[in-house]
Amino acid sequence: MTTIQTRYFGAVPEEVGLSIEFPAGLPAFERERRFLAIEHPKTGPLILLQSMTTRDLCFLALPVAAVEPAYRLQMSPEDMKAIGVDESAMSSGDSLAVLAFVVVEPDGRISANLMAPIVVNRENRCAVQSVRWDGVYAHDHHLSLTASGLAGEETACS
Amino acid sequence: MLVIRRRAGESVLIGDEIEIEVLDVAGTQVKIGISAPRDVLILRREVRVTAEQNELASRSLPFASLVNLFEKMKHSPQAPETRGDKGR
Repeated sequence: MTTIQTRYFGAVPEEVGLSIEFPAGLPAFERERRFLAIEHPKTGPLILLQSMTTRDLCFLALPVAAVEPAYRLQMSPEDMKAIGVDESAMSSGDSLAVLAFVVVEPDGRISANLMAPIVVNRENRCAVQSVRWDGVYAHDHHLSLTASGLAGEETACS
Repeated sequence: MLVIRRRAGESVLIGDEIEIEVLDVAGTQVKIGISAPRDVLILRREVRVTAEQNELASRSLPFASLVNLFEKMKHSPQAPETRGDKGR
């Protein structure tokens, strides 16, 4: 049993989450390759992406569909190859999990990076942060948490 | 910003060691070739923006903030369903 040191939960067995691998790391974190995707009853639809090598590195992510239900994924051929998928996997959608990193700003506003989603190939657990070139979605798509629910807001970029 | 017009096959020099050549122009897309020393970083702008967002996203939050945030999400009428509900 492998134990992972986590930012929020102390030492946990690896089995509490799903381990995923980023063959090329992530922009600004190129050496971070292995993450444990953890979901916790108290944090709902949020997925915590805990680095398996750096205890204090734990990203927050949401499924893109929770942020933008009509999200259309576009990946470069290089990114598809990096995780071992092809066009048919993209259109069927079942073999991929698509997440967006969430930023909580000091003023409490939260935003999701829809421009560079995390795409996970469920079959081999390989992942890539696939940076779009088409300018369709914002890197800081603001979310509002109001009485009427989780909603995306228009920003200057979108 | 210095603005220059170039056609396919023409190039621009930056300093002594960097050359940018327009290789091809097709519709709205330009193919650019960049020659630079290995230690010069060359990035699509969006990748730099993503790196900056990742730095922001990596800041630690107290667990209580996360719980608070997602209490709000769960209790809203259109809250996304959690993993257990649909088995996605």
